Amino acid sequence: MTAVPPVDVERARARPTGHLRLARLVLSEYFTLVLCALYLAAVYPFVPEMLTAEVAANVLSDMMPLLVVAIGQTFVLVIAGIDLSVTAIISMAAVVGASVMTGTGGYLAGSPLAVPGAILAMLLVGLAIGAINGLSVTRLNMPSFIVTLATRMFFAGAAIWYTTFHSASSSIADLPAGFTAIAEGDVLGVPVTVLIAVAVAVAAHLTLSRSRLGRHIYAVGANPKAARISGVPVARTILITFMISGACAAITSVMYVSRMQTGSPIVGENILLDVIGAVVIGGTSLFGGKGKVLWTVFGVLFLVLLDTSMKLLGASLFAIFIIKGGVILLAAMIDTLRHRLMATR
Amino acid sequence: MALTRREFTVASLMGVAAMSGLTVAVKAQGTKTIAVLFDGLYSEFWVAGIQIIRDDLEKRGFQIMEAISDQDDNKQFEQVRAAIAKKVDGIIIVQTDSNAVIPAIKAANAANIPMVHFNRPPAPSDAFSVAIQADNQKIAREAVLHSCKVAKESGRKHQAAILIGDLGDPNAIQRRDGFEEAVGQFPDAVEVVARVPTEWNADTAFAGLTNALQANPDISFVFTSSDFLIPQITQALKAADKWAPIGAENHVIFTGFDGFPAAYGLMNDKLMDACGVQNLFYETELAIQAILDLQAGKTVEKLLLDPGFAITQDNLEEKKEEMWGYVLWKKENAG
Repeated sequence: MTAVPPVDVERARARPTGHLRLARLVLSEYFTLVLCALYLAAVYPFVPEMLTAEVAANVLSDMMPLLVVAIGQTFVLVIAGIDLSVTAIISMAAVVGASVMTGTGGYLAGSPLAVPGAILAMLLVGLAIGAINGLSVTRLNMPSFIVTLATRMFFAGAAIWYTTFHSASSSIADLPAGFTAIAEGDVLGVPVTVLIAVAVAVAAHLTLSRSRLGRHIYAVGANPKAARISGVPVARTILITFMISGACAAITSVMYVSRMQTGSPIVGENILLDVIGAVVIGGTSLFGGKGKVLWTVFGVLFLVLLDTSMKLLGASLFAIFIIKGGVILLAAMIDTLRHRLMATR
Repeated sequence: MALTRREFTVASLMGVAAMSGLTVAVKAQGTKTIAVLFDGLYSEFWVAGIQIIRDDLEKRGFQIMEAISDQDDNKQFEQVRAAIAKKVDGIIIVQTDSNAVIPAIKAANAANIPMVHFNRPPAPSDAFSVAIQADNQKIAREAVLHSCKVAKESGRKHQAAILIGDLGDPNAIQRRDGFEEAVGQFPDAVEVVARVPTEWNADTAFAGLTNALQANPDISFVFTSSDFLIPQITQALKAADKWAPIGAENHVIFTGFDGFPAAYGLMNDKLMDACGVQNLFYETELAIQAILDLQAGKTVEKLLLDPGFAITQDNLEEKKEEMWGYVLWKKENAG
């Protein structure tokens, strides 16, 4: 099973009226990419720096952490769930990882195992919180919204509490150069963070489109009852999906901590709107059963382009929130429209 | 000659590109741009600070690129890179975390753009930037010393509470240390019974002070590390029936820090005994001058101190004109 086609292309080709052309464009999986191009053309006269190599490099670098966590969120949205705890996973993994490797009293300070140990600890934090979310949804039949809202609050607080045991200040610094090199280093000119994000994206794409797990995920998202009757292990699929989301959030945490050279308990705290917004703008359905990694890439690109142009324009914070919120609302409305259109066809 | 639609579109796009390129070129030849990057405008101090910086920069003919990071260090890092891409001539920054700002300083260093930290210094590192900071410890010490003398003159021993800021903020630590130094000189007049951590959060401060007042009903001496907590302190003291002017039996000796308009109002109403004042006008002057000096290739110290001052009931009339809060209070209450 693959993603549900967004439009009946053949019928559209048969009657290419103006309305139908617009509908085809809106329903196309490349709609967000077209929006990116249109947006760039629209802002270029006001922010010509947008088309410089320096800003392009910044956009690419800013995209990577958001892309990885948004890919994890795509899995959860495809099963018609939501993971609000990703920001707390980023924060918790950040302080746990930093406490392992910091040169100031870290558990593995000075050891050659400090960096791999810290990364492993961060991934384990992501997987563990993802497992808590998944088990709560499957075993306790709790809605993912409530479960992940609760774990978000719990682990956001726990991250601040944990930091007080490992630092006299509000963050954990003095991280080894081997770790900070993740954000600063490159392989044959390609930044390490880009390589990591591409690896995650390719693995996620193959999982969703070419594996049995991917087919199970779409089936659970489209209709969990039908999936169960068809022999799909629904509970296990949901559990794995939340663990994938947790692991992706932990990888994002690695990128952020490496970039800021500090394990802060509030890192990533404010990106929830961007994460969910990027996935929805890309076209992944809030109703489940439909979504692709490529769409999420487009959604993240659009949101980062929007954000970067606003920064270059010197737009105020409230203006950025209003514009971003408006765009995400529009994307959610288009998703509803698509859902209705497909239901009638 | 008739144009096809495609030719028209291409020509229009090229025209727009040429016009915008020309606009940028003209702008580049004209005024200089300073990026002003704050982490939030969550108290009057920061609102007044950014306004004074705006006014000063505009007066000097600078263009301003403003951004607020909403206490997100990563977002602020991205804002710094955007400012670098915009080729600004200097960056005035207020960061959230003193460690997390270091990559941003390094990025500014690499682009050869001077960076000045307004009122909040970064953690020590090999990156170069200039920090403007109030001499928090001295200012807090002087203000609290006045209150300690008032306590001693009352002839009885006072139980004291301090509202401490976020310990990740060096300003908070220095203000706490200034308070401890002052009360340490008056062990017979002041005993500290409550140290309330606020994390610069008004709700946390209110809950903490309320608990402290319940646990220690005899508290009669309060120091706040920032005046932005005045509404919460007022509420907590009122609930404990301790909100009374100087001279009343249940008056709590109250010391503030920052010099907010509300602090001046309380001083004027005899509800506050002393306040440590940061000289925002002087700090702005220092920040902009530091950028100009760095651009001119002059050597600037990494830390420039605002000596500030303590305003007390004894010198209120003499010093109030130097208090930024009084200047704003006067505007608000004009007429």
